[in-house]
Amino acid sequence: MRRGSLSGVGIDPGWGETRWKKFVVGDGLCFSGCGGWMMMAAGEQSGLWLDLGVMPYVPAFEIQDRILRARVEGRLAPTVILQENPPIFTIGRSGSRNNILSSAEELQNLGIDVLEVNRGGDVTYHGPGQLVVSPLLYLGDVGLNANQYLHRLEDVLIEFLAHYDILTHKKEDYPGVWYGESKIASVGIAVKHGFTFHGLSLNVDPNLDAFNLINPCGVRMMPVSSIRQILGQAPPMGEVKTGLKEILEKSFDMETRNISWPDLLKHLERDLCNP
Amino acid sequence: MRYDIEIPPTADGALEVTIVSWIKKVGDQVSKGEDLAEATTEKITLYVTAPAQGTLSEISVEVGSKVKVGTVIGVLEGI
Repeated sequence: MRRGSLSGVGIDPGWGETRWKKFVVGDGLCFSGCGGWMMMAAGEQSGLWLDLGVMPYVPAFEIQDRILRARVEGRLAPTVILQENPPIFTIGRSGSRNNILSSAEELQNLGIDVLEVNRGGDVTYHGPGQLVVSPLLYLGDVGLNANQYLHRLEDVLIEFLAHYDILTHKKEDYPGVWYGESKIASVGIAVKHGFTFHGLSLNVDPNLDAFNLINPCGVRMMPVSSIRQILGQAPPMGEVKTGLKEILEKSFDMETRNISWPDLLKHLERDLCNP
Repeated sequence: MRYDIEIPPTADGALEVTIVSWIKKVGDQVSKGEDLAEATTEKITLYVTAPAQGTLSEISVEVGSKVKVGTVIGVLEGI
């Protein structure tokens, strides 16, 4: 790996050195009529990369839900959704409000919302500076079961962070990615008809104080870290996205192309009118 | 026709999941593929969906119970 040139953190993570074979089939979006998403000639899938930027959790979740439905109905290629959210605590299906340590009034003053959501896991914090990545894949396509897929997401994060010389690891019985005893990234997925949603969240440069207001993932006093805390500065979010894209594509043997939500929405609406 | 409703085999068969909710109740009519129940591990939520159009006729595993992937948790009477 090449090192030494400038990036946001003075480390060259080496993104873009590997080029993946490109395939173009039709408009690359619609898979109706072929009984599912199309496998590429070399076994590689063609997918979409949807960056929502900073968007409140609820509308971003609604977009994910809409894409999931289109995926289940065989109308849309594998799609990876990226987002940052304004401050919010989300409680997963195995979680409890008791793991939020602040009063409703305190949270209101801090401008932090609370929402119960349908991913696995307990309470976590999402906020600006934390990148949430949700690959909407089909487990059969990637040849993994749900547990293996969850751990593959951890592997993606560990590989990504190693490019910044941040050496992280998994912990048995404590899903997520750990730097020493601190958690730097979380994973939590849901599966419907074999299609995945939700995914991972990586602390690039969030307000870590917010984690002190909860028992993150239900664990009391669990230390939480970020790239900024470890390196003293954070790489630009665009660079983080580029790096994760490269590793995710390699890891799931897929090629994605960028698409905006308005363009994807147009496709979904057109496809509904002309199935 | 009777259909067994199973925890979907999308995870390792040894995986133990907890039924966290029944989205439908006995007597509800459902379409094929509609969500019936949710089961979770610490970090994975699995949706149990209707194997056919019909009526949910039996719930054999209640909310809060732990079961393995592949376990039958209810019955659907197909149309």
